[in-house]
Amino acid sequence: MTNQRTIIGALIALATGLTILGVAHAAAEPALSAASTKTINDAAPKPTSSTADHTKFEVLQAEFKSGPEVTKACLTCHTEAAKQVHLSKHWTWEYKNPDTGQVLGKKHVINNFCTAVASNEDHCSACHIGYGWADDKFDFTVQENVDCLVCHDTTGAYKKLPGLAGHPNYETMEWPPKSGRLRPPTDLKKVAQNVGQTSRKTCGACHFRGGGGDAVKHGDLDSSLETPQRYLDVHMDADGLDFACSKCHVTDAHEVPGSRYAPTTTDTNGAQMRGSKKIRNPVTCQACHGSAPHGKADAKLNDHTKKIACQTCHIPAYARGPRHAKMSWDWSTAGKLDEHGTRIKTRNSIGKVEYDSNKGHFTYDRYVIPEYQWFNGKVKYTLFGDQIDASNVVKINEFLGGPEDPDARIWPVRVFRGKQMYDKGLNTLAVLHTAGNDDTAYWKNYDWDKALAAGMKAVGAEYSGSMGFVATEMSWPITHMVAPKEDALKCEQCHAKGGRLAGIDGAYIPARDRIVAMDMAGFSLALLALISVLVHGAMRIFVSSKNKD
Amino acid sequence: MQRIYIFKRFERFWHWSQAMLIMFMMLTGFEIHGTYTWFGFQRAVAYHTSAAWVLITLWIFAIFWHFTTGEWKQYKPTMEKAAAVLRYYLTGIFTNAPHPFRQSTLTKHNPLQRLAYLFVKLVINPLIWLTGLLYLFYGSWSSWGLSWLSLEWIAMGHVIGAFLMLIFFIAHVYLATVGHTPTAHIKAMVTGWEEID
Amino acid sequence: MLKILAGFFSGVALIAILGWNTAGGFMMTEHESPFGVEETAARIQANIQALADHGWKLSGLRSPSVSVAAAGTNVPPVLLVEACSTKYSAPLLAEDATRILSILMPCTITVYKKEDGKTYVGTMNAGLMGKMFGAKVSGIMDQVAKDQKAFLSFDPNKPAPALIKTRPGGGKGSGGQELSGC
Repeated sequence: MTNQRTIIGALIALATGLTILGVAHAAAEPALSAASTKTINDAAPKPTSSTADHTKFEVLQAEFKSGPEVTKACLTCHTEAAKQVHLSKHWTWEYKNPDTGQVLGKKHVINNFCTAVASNEDHCSACHIGYGWADDKFDFTVQENVDCLVCHDTTGAYKKLPGLAGHPNYETMEWPPKSGRLRPPTDLKKVAQNVGQTSRKTCGACHFRGGGGDAVKHGDLDSSLETPQRYLDVHMDADGLDFACSKCHVTDAHEVPGSRYAPTTTDTNGAQMRGSKKIRNPVTCQACHGSAPHGKADAKLNDHTKKIACQTCHIPAYARGPRHAKMSWDWSTAGKLDEHGTRIKTRNSIGKVEYDSNKGHFTYDRYVIPEYQWFNGKVKYTLFGDQIDASNVVKINEFLGGPEDPDARIWPVRVFRGKQMYDKGLNTLAVLHTAGNDDTAYWKNYDWDKALAAGMKAVGAEYSGSMGFVATEMSWPITHMVAPKEDALKCEQCHAKGGRLAGIDGAYIPARDRIVAMDMAGFSLALLALISVLVHGAMRIFVSSKNKD
Repeated sequence: MQRIYIFKRFERFWHWSQAMLIMFMMLTGFEIHGTYTWFGFQRAVAYHTSAAWVLITLWIFAIFWHFTTGEWKQYKPTMEKAAAVLRYYLTGIFTNAPHPFRQSTLTKHNPLQRLAYLFVKLVINPLIWLTGLLYLFYGSWSSWGLSWLSLEWIAMGHVIGAFLMLIFFIAHVYLATVGHTPTAHIKAMVTGWEEID
Repeated sequence: MLKILAGFFSGVALIAILGWNTAGGFMMTEHESPFGVEETAARIQANIQALADHGWKLSGLRSPSVSVAAAGTNVPPVLLVEACSTKYSAPLLAEDATRILSILMPCTITVYKKEDGKTYVGTMNAGLMGKMFGAKVSGIMDQVAKDQKAFLSFDPNKPAPALIKTRPGGGKGSGGQELSGC
């Protein structure tokens, strides 16, 4: 009994002592830290990194009525900007591939999403850095038609809406359509006074939402990259390195490098030094990391760069964020209406549209394992007018290159699969007039023939009157959503039978590959040797036991 | 029964550490080849590579030892009594016939052993080392002007070497038991002293 | 004799090792699902709700992969569908001897994606687990096992139901995009 009391007494004493110590320590701490953090820098507010405060510019004090008015104001100081933009792919939507001679760019290619720009300009141009591209009569030479704000907005209040030919709304407008929500007119003055450098948000306004919505097109680009966590992208990590797109897409004279139309799939140079005069694509991993980036302990990994793109190991899957990437689009089921003849929209388990009368069926996926293939940076497109074989899957764009090609590497690729319209008579992929307030638009009247005739007319062709659906594949190189290094692929994910690279030809991959006949011969001979010595041994034991008897 | 000192201290050390390393490398090597999964590919490669460097070091010492002591002469091939030894292992051993070869410090190995070890030293080992080092330094091929090499051939050469080593290993371990008692040769390899009639 | 004994014991040891290695496999079962992770989870939820007359109620939906991602690591999606039936839990919780089985509550079904891109469903082997606790528990757990089987039978002709984001404990979720972690 007395023992117990002694212990309790000791414990109370100890607790009291610790509490007093703790309080004393806590009291001492704030004083200490306050004293130590006071430095000269705290005295003055930190200046902005920009040397110009656009709110103070007289020319930006106006009540702008339209985008082009703002651009005119911008051009009073930035005299060469529009001329630079006029040369860029962001403006022309046109690119001539020097290897194949094919004329590409959004203006010309057919994809397996909304399929084509022609005849749908006033909708598609919501992602054009210009104002007024409503039809084929748009003047590409007018300087004030350049939209500065869509890339340089910092307020987040600027939004170009489909159907307005690249303009934001200047009047109150219901948005999204039939939602009952009203979008107030864009405060152009405020946006103009708050311009700044491009950001993940401004680039993402189009590039995260290509194909008509978030996470539809690229697979490795979606709105989760606006403020990504480290796991999703180690470079763009909002709490870490926080790279803007332009950190890698180092832009000069408004021409942004890193186009998918002619990507750089391999770069054997070391990291690019400042001031280096060497002309090379600044967007590659190697431009910063060099071509032997792994340390001494992992030196074997550097050997892999001869055959494998960095992305293959360092982007273990795409659409790893919370957004589901669209995986397929089947136009062939479009046009079904309910009993009242109105548009149907059904949603899947996570509320994504699974069927839409306007567009057909969709599927989605998250944490998608890419497909892998050799790729040397050369891409061959199936353009309008190219003859197709409708009994097979048509490759909208084909990534070229094979194991023998020194410029080819094994790349992770997103393959978007679909079924889309083709002209049976002309035997070519078709151009569909989807959006618009006219009688021929498919989303207005669900009449394939009318919509196709209008679409084909826009590219100068005559619809044969007979259409069908053809299975198509479109390939997208996976290069964003780079995982932290500890989440890169593990050796065993390829160095095994049935691993990630099971379908790759022309490379010897230890643990995946063997010559079966040689293994059979080797193990058979070894087994034969084993049996021989066992028989020999058994005979010796037998003989010696007999001798003993 | 007479005892003679046949295997010197370094020789025994070399033999047993080499034996361990070869077994370990066969174990990790066939995993890298994809025959089974045990350590996991990454660790198998790391272990195999480390063991390779240890074995190479050991070999440098062993070669030095062989030439400085003149022991290399033990592997000079001879056909004298070779047929008789072969006949002994095929028949004589079962009839308690005497071994046709008499061990001595100057001739440790019987003619068949000489041939077998010479084959290991001149064919199997060089094949394994050459292909193994090329395999390891795959990344330097282009700077060495060896871009024309095929990794598959090199890997296959290395695997052929491994199979030959495996077969040698089986035969060698078994033949270690054919002394006048099953453990006599093994004891000799441990202590250095061989008992001979 | 010694050899026989040695042989016997090594045989026993071998079986023990084998048993140890496969015990996990007995305790849990894995099935492949023809649907994606979310749709599979949603269909399981719908099946659970269809068995409301057995007392089943959804008690939560968690995603341990979300917690792991928040800590900075990539793992493929995992959804834990949690359900509870007071019809089965009440008798177990009523007695001191079986109250420890509350550790298995709520009944959890896991839905996850593997490297092959396919969706898998994992369940506890409730029937076998029950057998270890006597006749009464076994009887209840056999019922649970039967119901669990029903949770996993999908009708592909039915449209995908919406995923119900219930907070652990049964309350309605906050309605946000993200799921609660583990």
